[in-house]
Amino acid sequence: MAGYVLQRLGQMLLTLLAIATLTFFLMHAIPGGPFVSERMLAPEIASALNDKFGLSDPIWLQYLNYLRGIVTFDLGPSFRYPGVTVNQMIADGLPVTLRTGLLAVICVVALGVPMGIVAALNRNKWPDTAVMMLATIGVAIPSYVIATLLLYVFALRLGWVPTFGLDDWRGYILPVLALSGFWVSFVARLARSSLLETFEQDYMTTARAKGLRPGQVLFKHGLRNSLIPVVTVLGPVVANLVTGSFVIEQIFALPGIGRHFVLSITNRDYTAIMGITIFYAALLMVMILIVDLLYVWLDPRIKLQKAAQ
Amino acid sequence: MTSEPIIAPAMWEKPDRSIGAAEIITTPSLTYWQDVRQRLWANKPAVVSICFIVVLIFGAVFGPLISPFSYFEQNLRLSNIPPVFETYRVSDGAGEDTRFFLNASNFNLYQISEGGQVEGLLRGGRKDIIKKSQSFEFGATDIALDYSSRPARLLRADGTELRPEGWQWNMTYLFGTDQLGRDVLVRQLYGARISLLVAFVATLVNFFIGIFYGGIAGYIGGKTDAVMMRIVEIISTIPLMLYVILLMVVLDSGLISIVVAIGSVFWVDMARMVRGQILTLKQQDYVAAARTMGAGTGRILTRHLLPNSIGPILVTLTMLIPSAIFIESFMSFIGLGVTPPMASWGTLTSEAVETMRAYPHQLFFPAAAISLTMFAFNFLGDGLRDALDPRMRR
Repeated sequence: MAGYVLQRLGQMLLTLLAIATLTFFLMHAIPGGPFVSERMLAPEIASALNDKFGLSDPIWLQYLNYLRGIVTFDLGPSFRYPGVTVNQMIADGLPVTLRTGLLAVICVVALGVPMGIVAALNRNKWPDTAVMMLATIGVAIPSYVIATLLLYVFALRLGWVPTFGLDDWRGYILPVLALSGFWVSFVARLARSSLLETFEQDYMTTARAKGLRPGQVLFKHGLRNSLIPVVTVLGPVVANLVTGSFVIEQIFALPGIGRHFVLSITNRDYTAIMGITIFYAALLMVMILIVDLLYVWLDPRIKLQKAAQ
Repeated sequence: MTSEPIIAPAMWEKPDRSIGAAEIITTPSLTYWQDVRQRLWANKPAVVSICFIVVLIFGAVFGPLISPFSYFEQNLRLSNIPPVFETYRVSDGAGEDTRFFLNASNFNLYQISEGGQVEGLLRGGRKDIIKKSQSFEFGATDIALDYSSRPARLLRADGTELRPEGWQWNMTYLFGTDQLGRDVLVRQLYGARISLLVAFVATLVNFFIGIFYGGIAGYIGGKTDAVMMRIVEIISTIPLMLYVILLMVVLDSGLISIVVAIGSVFWVDMARMVRGQILTLKQQDYVAAARTMGAGTGRILTRHLLPNSIGPILVTLTMLIPSAIFIESFMSFIGLGVTPPMASWGTLTSEAVETMRAYPHQLFFPAAAISLTMFAFNFLGDGLRDALDPRMRR
């Protein structure tokens, strides 16, 4: 177990190094420096600024400095907002992003799985048709369209929820719904097909034949075995919820990391772009590792060493 | 015991051994692809999706050519015109009638012809700011537009309210106009062009990079495979969207960069899938047979292994196309995609969000276009999967 985790952590560090290198050189490949703008700076000021941020150093030195910064969890100052560090920007946005993201994950599990169960139990009857129809809609319609339509109907036309901001709990409803819409549908479909597959297994027949109550058959034998594929997709779910938050935070004007990221792109705030990208990558890899460990814990048949190879 | 025999005497007779009608094969035997086509045609949603995609392609290619409008031409006097309106009719007392409609969100009157063509903005008198009304003259008839209360009312000189005749579809701008007076329909068709272009590029990249990358990694195996797959793993640790955004920052937004950005990382899923297929297929006897006959790696790969995995490749492709379209419109939505005045479904939606309270039609049409396209590709993908491998159906 410990060996596997160590091996995975080593892989993660390698991947992070690759990503840091890639983003660093990509950002430095952009023509023009961060202080080139319409308003010409006096050459003295420009060179002073370059010196202050270490931009006049040779590129390998800048690269090493940047790597040293990452190792010490210092992502550098923002080029756009004087006095603000990238660490501060992330610390600002993280609570909002995590809260909506976590609620969305809960939503995915708490809505998607029951929907799949209902559909599978009523195969080819109206609940199945309804769930599958809803799931097809949820999978096909892009998140930003869902978000704008929800905003139009529930915030503008009906006025049940505020159009933006997170002042009270009602502000979370639409962002979380829009964020989780795709994955609720995806998980519902997956849970349904996985359950249907499990129902055909011999041990289900055995469980029924020996006289277990239907609830016991479903929950103890059917559900536990059919939820493994659902757990597997939770890793990608977390990853996609994070990228989904770019647009959701934009539409609902939530002050999360996604919004900071999009803003820093439009502002050409290079250190912020690099820092947030690396932070995202690290966050995602940790989440995927956690999901992988969870997976093994849920299904002891899977051996960690095997998965590592 | 003379009961009725259980086995009737007729049943002891020898059966007729000649080939009966039931055993004659009446339909010609089908090849695999004929079978696939038959199953696909039996799938109603998939057929409808194919029709929709074909119509979309024709509309995107030829629509802008025959449209009298262009995607960038602005007409500020005819901005924010809805696709459907309630028409009014006023006679000027000399036998001439004027038809017009009231745009309830900006309080302008627009003249329309009998056929529903928008002819132009009606000029009224000075707006009375205090009483919130404006007068319009139609020959001898005076009409006052009273917008002091919502909804706005049209009043005759004697104070009675002018009643609308009925609803009519806008025949000049079938989908209405946007906030700069540009035709929404033609902009949507340009958006369809961009989406289809992105879909085409994604297909191409998947075919040429994804399939061969995966094929080579899977077939050669060993160290080559390990290195190639480690690269794929690094790329796929981060969501594709993040790469595309980073590349867009470097390349500056625009149609070409979005195509390059999607093209450079979009083959990863396909490469993985093909590698998995090749790994199982290369154990087959026909590969060994081909090798003993002296076929080279390239020949075995292109002539034996890839054609045998064409089914999963096609299915993966139809699943990847909508996600490419989605990424493009997503990027355009957050302002990193195509540059104005070029229209993409993403930019159309994001522009419409700003005015959606007053002009929901601007939001509705692009949202419907992208949703329907995603539906079509999803249904087509499901249909193809079921047709290519009926065992996968569930």
